[in-house]
Amino acid sequence: MPELIEIVSTGVGVSIQDSGRVGWRRFGVPLGGAMDRHSMAVANRLLGNKEEAPVLEIMHSGVTLRVLADTWLALAGADLGSSLQPWRAERVARGTLLSFTGPRAGLFAYLAVPGGVDSERWFGSASADARNGLGHVLQKASCVRSMAALPQFFAHRVAARVAIAEDRRDFSAAVELRVLRGPQFEFFSEASQQALVNATWKVSVRSDRSGFRLEGPQIQVPASIVSEPVLPGSFQIPGNGQPIVTMVDGPTVGGYAKLAVLAEAELDRLAQCAPGTNISFKWLD
Amino acid sequence: MDLKLQSYGERAILIQNLDITLQSSLVSLLQVSPPVGFVEFVLGYDNLMIVLNSAADLGAFRTWLTDLLEVGLDPPVEPRLIEVPTRYDGEDLDWVAKQSHLSVDEVIAIHSGAEYRVRMMGFAPGFPYLDGLDPCLYLDRRASPRNHIEPGSVAIGGSHAGIYSVASPGGWHLLGRTELPMFRPDLARMNEPDPTKIFTLRIGDRVKFMNLG
Repeated sequence: MPELIEIVSTGVGVSIQDSGRVGWRRFGVPLGGAMDRHSMAVANRLLGNKEEAPVLEIMHSGVTLRVLADTWLALAGADLGSSLQPWRAERVARGTLLSFTGPRAGLFAYLAVPGGVDSERWFGSASADARNGLGHVLQKASCVRSMAALPQFFAHRVAARVAIAEDRRDFSAAVELRVLRGPQFEFFSEASQQALVNATWKVSVRSDRSGFRLEGPQIQVPASIVSEPVLPGSFQIPGNGQPIVTMVDGPTVGGYAKLAVLAEAELDRLAQCAPGTNISFKWLD
Repeated sequence: MDLKLQSYGERAILIQNLDITLQSSLVSLLQVSPPVGFVEFVLGYDNLMIVLNSAADLGAFRTWLTDLLEVGLDPPVEPRLIEVPTRYDGEDLDWVAKQSHLSVDEVIAIHSGAEYRVRMMGFAPGFPYLDGLDPCLYLDRRASPRNHIEPGSVAIGGSHAGIYSVASPGGWHLLGRTELPMFRPDLARMNEPDPTKIFTLRIGDRVKFMNLG
């Protein structure tokens, strides 16, 4: 397939992502992949792609893309102020410039192309993990190819071009996320166990694809533990008593006690909380 | 056998208090004949995490494990010995010597004289946590980690020796470097990546550092 999208500006971050690498964590290879897998899947479905087909993950602001051929594109996830509406598939003309100026709601937007982004795979995944040398790193003037010229739907069927209400998410609403007890829950004082769910937490600017740091009341710090596997969504409590929630690019093992772990479906929602967002938690068990 | 099983998240189990023999036997078995619903395992220091397809597989896994421990596991396979050619010119040699009340030559002799075992991998792809460090070289990690450590850096931290596998920040003390790559991401770029080619070491390997002078 010919080149479809040119990266004019990489802004805060643009990368190729899919559903990540399963089966390699025992060697220290993180799961990786899209930060918000739900939105990735919806963007792909809008074009009739497989849910886990590689997409462009666009973070926060400053990304500009040039469309190099008449095509269909689908956007889902954060509203980052581009001319494309999230949760829709649209016909886009050659030469169109798509500028993602800044978040109106959410943090990561997912742009699907017909058939998915064409890319080599590392451990079976196209996801970029620059720190570990996995995936193609997109730079200014990089071009992205698609796997098909046209989406997998017929021109007379319009229903599939807007995501159904159940699939759309409003990232400007207040966020309360469900958590389960972590493996070291019992190591924490009752006051700390309560503080996690009673307080309002703010997402720190020192957050990235490896971990989201939370700012709030001081959590009591238990002794560090022998290294143990870490799942994405785990609330690790380092020396400063402020939780770090491990995200998909985070390390596979760690030595901080884990107070809680997000219910799996909530990881996508946390990923969309831009720095400064207030969130609260509630125990599931 | 007094193993502690803990659920972790919605569909994972942590098996705690494992010695290296049982850990290695379990890991060999999981790779040859995994139970129903098995997705992957991750080793910690004296523990093992099993990730399953769904919460519905947790019960069957517990039964599988209990039955297995009753029958008994095969002993682990005989470990390989891997030699790591090392040039001892690390930035922290003098500091480590001073902290341990040893000469630089003694630090090198002690580090290269010991035999290590790969206990787990993590922190970065292919980064080995090596057991077997002489206790006179146990040192706390740096108070402020370095922002950039070159892959191939031979280092010690706490009670472990290790080898940095990718360029990364890090808080361990640098003793030297090796040209033997721990991780070759380029070889992961194929349909059926072969872990024995991508990662030089595997869990359970015996490791010796060869002083290149």
